Amino acid sequence: MKHYSEADLLDTYYTQPGESMPVMMHLASCHDCAARYERLERKLRDAAVCNTEKPATFWTRQRLQIMRRADAQHAHAVSASRFLRVAAAAILAFFLGGAVVYETIQPAPQPVPVAAKAAPATAATPAVNDLHDAWQSDELKDFHNVVEWEAWVPDNKPIANEASSL
Amino acid sequence: MGTLATFRVNPTESAPSDQELIARTLGGDGGAFGILVDRFQRKIYRVAYAIVRDDIEADTITQDTFIQAYTHLARFQGRSELETWLTRIAINRSRDWLRRRKFVSLFSNDSENEDRAEYVIEPVDDRPDAERLLMSHQLRAAILRAERLLSSQQKIIFRLRHYENHSLEEIAELLGLRSGTVRAHLFRAIHKVRKELAEWVTEREEVPDETL
Repeated sequence: MKHYSEADLLDTYYTQPGESMPVMMHLASCHDCAARYERLERKLRDAAVCNTEKPATFWTRQRLQIMRRADAQHAHAVSASRFLRVAAAAILAFFLGGAVVYETIQPAPQPVPVAAKAAPATAATPAVNDLHDAWQSDELKDFHNVVEWEAWVPDNKPIANEASSL
Repeated sequence: MGTLATFRVNPTESAPSDQELIARTLGGDGGAFGILVDRFQRKIYRVAYAIVRDDIEADTITQDTFIQAYTHLARFQGRSELETWLTRIAINRSRDWLRRRKFVSLFSNDSENEDRAEYVIEPVDDRPDAERLLMSHQLRAAILRAERLLSSQQKIIFRLRHYENHSLEEIAELLGLRSGTVRAHLFRAIHKVRKELAEWVTEREEVPDETL
């Protein structure tokens, strides 16, 4: 009769015993292997015992610490959400206020002067343009030819003499 | 009869269900969460201890588990039992701790401390059988040594099977894996550790049965 080794019996112990049907059937008929399996099972169960039994004070202390941390967590979450709400409200108020102020103080569009469009080069000296030009008046417009002619007179000749000679 | 019925104790009042306590906690009742902690803290501590094998770390993991559950309690949809949900959180935190410890051990030589920790004598049971106590303690140390060959996942599955005696289906549910995957992991884990354990068991076969 084939006997199973300790390694095989370990497999049977850790994988569900019901799944190792050939081994279990053998153990039912082989007293030697059954006794070895029983010893091995007892040893492993002893070794698996966890000493997690603690006094009541341990569990009470642990529970109090958990509750304290949970309270702190709750308070932190509440303050964080409150801060977020306040920050969001502040940002919204800032933008809304800015929009209102912009709409209130926005200047009306000014019409562009025609003269400035026509003569942009002279726009820089408006004071000069505003002076009255006597030569453009209606009284002197008939003398424009004379004036243009006089403009050809050399500078060294006195204009008064030329005019008197005419 | 009607008078008697008014004095009958309502079972839901004496032992509120998990769902009721969750609803009360979400409504701001801190005492309800305290009842939940009291109900599950021993179980969660035992699972954490089975995986990390350290008293202080198991305590910390238990506390962190409940705090994480408290923070995300609104997300708990009740598709599984609250106990299963808490156990999953504890297992995940224990797995993180195992990985951190493995990472730290790469840079520090703390294997000597581990060896020393293994040989701290702990009471196995109430029976005053010193030899049996010593043998089980030695076997426990051998198991811990053999477990160093295992990956984090294999170690968790092996420890849940060995210390908590969970079935493969229960482990699969806790880890969110398929049963076949858990079986494959456990099979590989056993084949890694069984050489040392089998040798240890075989060497001591000569010990009379009465001492076991």
